[in-house]
Amino acid sequence: MLQVSEELIDLIQNRAVVKVIATLDERGEPYAVPAPFLQWSERGELVHLEPLEKSATNRNLLRSLWFGRTVSVTVYGPLGESFVISGHPIKAHICGPLFRHYYQQLRSIIHDADLSTAWIIKPISITDETYSRVKIKEEDEFPFSVHLDRLRADHYTTERILS
Amino acid sequence: MTQKLQTNLDQIVARYPDVPPLIILKTDVQRRGVFYSKAALELLDEAAHQTTGTHIFGARDGMIALRPESLLLRDGTSIITTPTPLDENPYLVDVKDGSPWLFDDGVALEAVDYWPAPDFYAKSSSSGVPMKNIVSARPQRLNIFPYRYCTFWNNNKGCSFCDIVSQLKKGGKELNIPAKLDPHEVGVVVGEALKEPGRFSAVFLTSGSIFSGAEPFDDEVEYYIEILKEVGKQFRTKKFPSQIIGTAFTKKQLQHLYDETGLMSYTADIEVLNEGLFDRLCPGKSEWIGYQGWKKRLVDAVDVFGPGRVNTGLVAGIELTSPHGFISEDEALQHTLSEAEDLARQGVSTVFIVWSPRPHTPLGNQKNASLDYYIRLARGLHALRVKYRLPIGYDDYRHCGNHPDSDLSRLLPY
Repeated sequence: MLQVSEELIDLIQNRAVVKVIATLDERGEPYAVPAPFLQWSERGELVHLEPLEKSATNRNLLRSLWFGRTVSVTVYGPLGESFVISGHPIKAHICGPLFRHYYQQLRSIIHDADLSTAWIIKPISITDETYSRVKIKEEDEFPFSVHLDRLRADHYTTERILS
Repeated sequence: MTQKLQTNLDQIVARYPDVPPLIILKTDVQRRGVFYSKAALELLDEAAHQTTGTHIFGARDGMIALRPESLLLRDGTSIITTPTPLDENPYLVDVKDGSPWLFDDGVALEAVDYWPAPDFYAKSSSSGVPMKNIVSARPQRLNIFPYRYCTFWNNNKGCSFCDIVSQLKKGGKELNIPAKLDPHEVGVVVGEALKEPGRFSAVFLTSGSIFSGAEPFDDEVEYYIEILKEVGKQFRTKKFPSQIIGTAFTKKQLQHLYDETGLMSYTADIEVLNEGLFDRLCPGKSEWIGYQGWKKRLVDAVDVFGPGRVNTGLVAGIELTSPHGFISEDEALQHTLSEAEDLARQGVSTVFIVWSPRPHTPLGNQKNASLDYYIRLARGLHALRVKYRLPIGYDDYRHCGNHPDSDLSRLLPY
């Protein structure tokens, strides 16, 4: 099973954290929308609550499940933490105890909300896109991309540039 | 899908890359039926799952026994299963890692869920009848079968594939299912069902044809109205998501039905889209209304319910039965889709069910069509809905689950 950090799980579970789900439409073009009800399940999967049956995202998620396409979720925290999770939609709950749980949860958050589908997305990869961390890695691995003015002798910085 | 697939299924999946493999599998499971292993039946929990016995039609093995009512695939699609004897080569529902799976030739193909039981299944009406024998359920639909008899059988002119009367005899005797429902009691059960959060999104009615009345079928219409009025008392809106599969009524009857009730969509199953075969295989419908009359009434219904709110159903495969059916699947398909297009351009959608030959019916000893035929039919009917922009939300995977063609329409934005 994919290793997922506590930091990322906490971000996903925090409703104040911005989450965006990107899917592919019938032409293969990306379509990204906020996913405010995205959450992490005890089974180590993402749960995306899709309120509307005919939304582009709901149809794209179905297309992904049917034809084995991936979707991606971006999580962006208040301190600039950023993660991109790609995964496969593996199950669409439209009834049963789990659906009922999420239906009631959504209705407790939004007045008179409906729920079309509780999508289960199995993560297949996680990429840390947090700038402060990625910047260090990039500058270590690709030192020839750094602009020289940042390395000037009289340039003062507290940040680490090239080891 | 996991592991090696059964050869024919594999070929069809490769041949139609635009059709989801899950829908091809579903169609083949409907075509060949299922057999539940002992282990699979041991997973069945009457408190948690729906069990067979409430349906208006019977099973391919002719038995009423405690079995899962039907199956859910992981895309939310239902497979309305027909328990089938092993010697007819059905798919096997068995257990893998503690859960039910579909198997074929020893290969595990897909995990399935048994339909969850709604809360009201545990309750009985004030007259002591189990509520599930008054109103039954699909994953998101309430089923009301007001009258479990069809008067076309009075002079032995029932449809050749239909076992409604033999099922009634079994159901009444073995399961305490009333042949004719009390409208008030139906309303009470629907009210009880609606207490369950998020469970139901449509009310559905169907019964056998009742030709009596001042005008033929007036009694059937009035009975539906009586039931729907009681059901309507449970809603705060005049109209509520609902579907009826009735006889093809006159425009006057349809208008009456629409005006008096909360009904939002209308279906009259023509069963087969060929006049000669309709006359032979549906002699009661032919005698009372006729093929052209049936089509005209469907089109008339669009004026009442609106485009995209009227459809007709086919029992697909009976058009290929001997001795009068089409000899080739190509010819049957071409003819069926041509007739379906004639309806579609006038606002009437066509859906199909995979014909499951039932014992004790005149066609019971014949075979249904090939998987390739059913997939081509599903693609063709779906393409007509795209061409004529016909929504099918009232008869889709969520509300019925028995039509591979309307499964394909899930991807449409309307």
